[in-house]
Amino acid sequence: MISKKLVEGVDDRLDASSFIARNLKKVFPDHWSFMLGELALYSFILLVLTGTFLALFYVASPELTTYRGPYEPLQGRPVSLAYNSVLQLSFEVRAGLVMRQTHHWSALVFMAAIVAHMLRVFFTGAFRKPREISWLLGVGLVVSGIAAGFTGYSLPDDLLSGVGLRIAYSIAQSIPFVGNWLASVFFGGEFPGTALLPRLLALHIFVMPLAILGLMSAHLGIVWHQTHTQFKAPGRTEDTVTGTPVWPKFALKSVGLGFVTFGVLTLLGGLFQINPVWFYGPYVPYSGPSPSQPDWYAGWLEGLLRLWPNWEFTIFGVTIGELFLPAIVVPGIMFTLLAAWPFVEARFTGDHAWHNFAQKPREAPVRSGLGAAGVALMVVLFLAGSNDVLAKYLQIEVDTFNTVLRWSAFVLPTLAGAITFIVCRDLRDRPRHPIGRPGAMTVRRTAEGGFEELHDAADEVRSP
Amino acid sequence: MTRRTAEARLLSRILRIGLVLVIGGQIVWSFRPSPGQALSQTAEQGRALYEAGCSTCHGLQAEGTVNGLSLQGSGSAAVSFMLTTGRMPLAAPGDQPMRQEPAFDDEQIDAIVAYLAEIAPGGPAVPEVDTSKGSLSDGAALFLNNCSGCHAAAGVGDSVGGGRIAPNLMPASATQIGEAVRIGPGLMPRFDEENLSEQDLNSIAAYLHWLRDNGDEGGLQLGRVGAVAEGLVAFVVGLGLLFLVVRLTGSKV
Amino acid sequence: MSRPDRVVAGSFIVAILAAFGLFFVYLRGGQTQLEGALLFLTLGGIGTGLLVWAKRLMPQIVDETQSRHHEPVSEHDQEAAAETVMGGVGELKRRTFLSRLLVGAAGALGLAALFPIRSLGEVPGDTPFFTKWKRGSRLVDVGGNVVTRETLKVDSFTTVFPEGSVGSADSQAVLIKVQPELLQLPSDRAEGAPEGLVCYSKVCTHAGCPLGLYLAADHELRCPCHQSTFDVLNGAEPVYGPAPRALPQLLIEVDDDGTLRAMGDFTEPVGPAFWNITDGPA
Repeated sequence: MISKKLVEGVDDRLDASSFIARNLKKVFPDHWSFMLGELALYSFILLVLTGTFLALFYVASPELTTYRGPYEPLQGRPVSLAYNSVLQLSFEVRAGLVMRQTHHWSALVFMAAIVAHMLRVFFTGAFRKPREISWLLGVGLVVSGIAAGFTGYSLPDDLLSGVGLRIAYSIAQSIPFVGNWLASVFFGGEFPGTALLPRLLALHIFVMPLAILGLMSAHLGIVWHQTHTQFKAPGRTEDTVTGTPVWPKFALKSVGLGFVTFGVLTLLGGLFQINPVWFYGPYVPYSGPSPSQPDWYAGWLEGLLRLWPNWEFTIFGVTIGELFLPAIVVPGIMFTLLAAWPFVEARFTGDHAWHNFAQKPREAPVRSGLGAAGVALMVVLFLAGSNDVLAKYLQIEVDTFNTVLRWSAFVLPTLAGAITFIVCRDLRDRPRHPIGRPGAMTVRRTAEGGFEELHDAADEVRSP
Repeated sequence: MTRRTAEARLLSRILRIGLVLVIGGQIVWSFRPSPGQALSQTAEQGRALYEAGCSTCHGLQAEGTVNGLSLQGSGSAAVSFMLTTGRMPLAAPGDQPMRQEPAFDDEQIDAIVAYLAEIAPGGPAVPEVDTSKGSLSDGAALFLNNCSGCHAAAGVGDSVGGGRIAPNLMPASATQIGEAVRIGPGLMPRFDEENLSEQDLNSIAAYLHWLRDNGDEGGLQLGRVGAVAEGLVAFVVGLGLLFLVVRLTGSKV
Repeated sequence: MSRPDRVVAGSFIVAILAAFGLFFVYLRGGQTQLEGALLFLTLGGIGTGLLVWAKRLMPQIVDETQSRHHEPVSEHDQEAAAETVMGGVGELKRRTFLSRLLVGAAGALGLAALFPIRSLGEVPGDTPFFTKWKRGSRLVDVGGNVVTRETLKVDSFTTVFPEGSVGSADSQAVLIKVQPELLQLPSDRAEGAPEGLVCYSKVCTHAGCPLGLYLAADHELRCPCHQSTFDVLNGAEPVYGPAPRALPQLLIEVDDDGTLRAMGDFTEPVGPAFWNITDGPA
């Protein structure tokens, strides 16, 4: 299939020989933690493939029809054409349900992989100069991913996602001066509005995928151009990169990982039920089921909304709705801080040097401590977003749980940050791995009469 | 004989007489007539059971005590519901009533219901719920509009604050569903015939029973609680498996 | 065959067989779980085969070192590049008047480009302040049936709409019957809650979700979204959760023939706040 003649033919027309030679021989470091980003990439590819299939069946219309498909509890009920098309796809199209479920699982795992990858980059300092641009593109990918997911799961026009749209409308409304206007204009009037589904579709299958594709291509291109970071080891320097050449080994490993990713996602798609919209029924504005949560990657926002106190104030006749702070201001601060982090850290450490080495988390105790604090806060928010489900399974009181979580939002990040900082600093300052250390401690009596611990006890005792 | 054995024999004689008196007294006492009427045999059986198992908290005349509600006017539906779901009798007053193995068998429950119908008449009767007459699509719509806020869209239940839980409805029988709707046990509001008709009850019960064995074409139901379970599975199974693969494939240096 | 060889071969064979299996399942009408499992075997088989092939069978070149080809840019080159860019910019800036006009034109175009946003939909105007309820509107339930004083017993509730607007998102209301002596409404509101029948907006004042939970024994309405809880006896004041304001009440009266009618619109605008909610309608 790929013959020498073909390669020569392409090269002849594009003058590509040096380009091909250089890039196919490029080496990439092999560390397992560098493959997390690829998981996100391959999840995205599967999203596009399965999404294309879904787009061929979905009807983005709120117009009503009567359900006449095989799902008995909806027989004869008025449903929107959108909801109807999703039910048809799920129950009447061969492989429709596995495609739909694979698509949704891929979205959840896409976001999970992005977060895992982002944490790896953060805790190893791989965002430092010259890679700040890649970091900014990455933050853009997180936001685009959340937007793509939200617009996507709202397309079936079911009761649960419709309630989520109502919350989004209310959040928009809370913005001073322009909120009501923005919400009404975009939704096509008072909620639920007349214009929403086709617009969600345009965003979900066109605008967001373009944004993600663009950001991802730039992100990968820059990584390629700047070469990947690597961990310190004997023989490695700042100016060299050690690893596996792209062709054939690295590329085939990556493609293999891609297929395995597809396999895991399709396994989920076939065996684990996700978003069974038939239970929720078509969206009607006067019903609200519980439990009521968005997809996991918006769970932190859900937690903020559940924990935030009921403060609402009016200043000079302008009412700041209760939702404005937890749903607009706080997330705005969070993402701004996230995006600005490489520059903030460089400012504080005074380190503007070029770095090609990835650090072990212990080498940057302050950053690791702050990162751990951030993760702990997110964990508290995710728990808060799931509070009623957790209360049901753990047999605890929701209201008490909320109070505990509110305190935890301050206490846990502080604790996690402090503990991480201390552990990292201690690990960094000890030349040997703590588990490898002998249990005993050697002390030496000083001339002044006190005692001091010997760190490199073995070495110091040996030399007179 | 020795003083000891004499004392022992006297003691045992006193005990035996006492025992006869106590048992005899119980038997005689149990035959006392209730104010006004003579009871049917079933109701008599019910009285014995009621007085032994319920009257401490609910009062001998079902008038209530500091430990338990008055049952006057509560209706046979309430009695039947509480006993057949095992919510009553409570282990201790103040416990939250929860579904468990019933303390009485069906015959005994019928007896208690009959007895209470005599001494505490009135209130909703045990409804006749026939799922075969119900319409699944009506039931689904009614359930979503009236019940899913507390009991979850697929009837699996959810917490409603203050440590209380609207229970999972999958184990409930058609009659129990009807009874609960009519009486509104615990925190639950009640819906009488003007609000939800007999046919509505048939439909809701039919739908809930249909949910027991249907609706999971997509695979493992994950508790039917929605995004929380799905997110957990995405991380643990999805990312977890892929993480393992990545660890095995990549290097550690 | 070496062990890795066998693993790779086996993986690809599994993939081929599973792909045929998929074809077969598909012909027979499809089945979601089988499709998922067979796709896992097909795709996972190819993937595992490739991974093991790449990792174990290909030459173990894992420590090849290359230069990163980052030559720190010489000052001279950086200057030259900056000059190229700034030279072009300078050409524009040189003509101060013209370049300012260009900026003005671009700005004007930008502003004009915002206007199509207005075409996207309707401006809200006064609509957030009003619902479909009018004085004399009959209360109907989801099925369109007229609601009377007999419909509810104590501790019961139902969702109501103005007649002719069943399903209206902003007009939706919840009608609850409590024991009349338990109500603690101020006198002007108490008149609109006859015989223990009290009616509140069903739209939560926190984020707009419909209030689906009525905890009858506690006389509380609770929202499934973020657990805002409102005291039905006390004008639906929030008693727990993030909702900042009480639910607007719909004052109702009992007609001569027992039907329930609204005495007007809700006492306040429904739903979560917006910036000029205190201004009232224009």
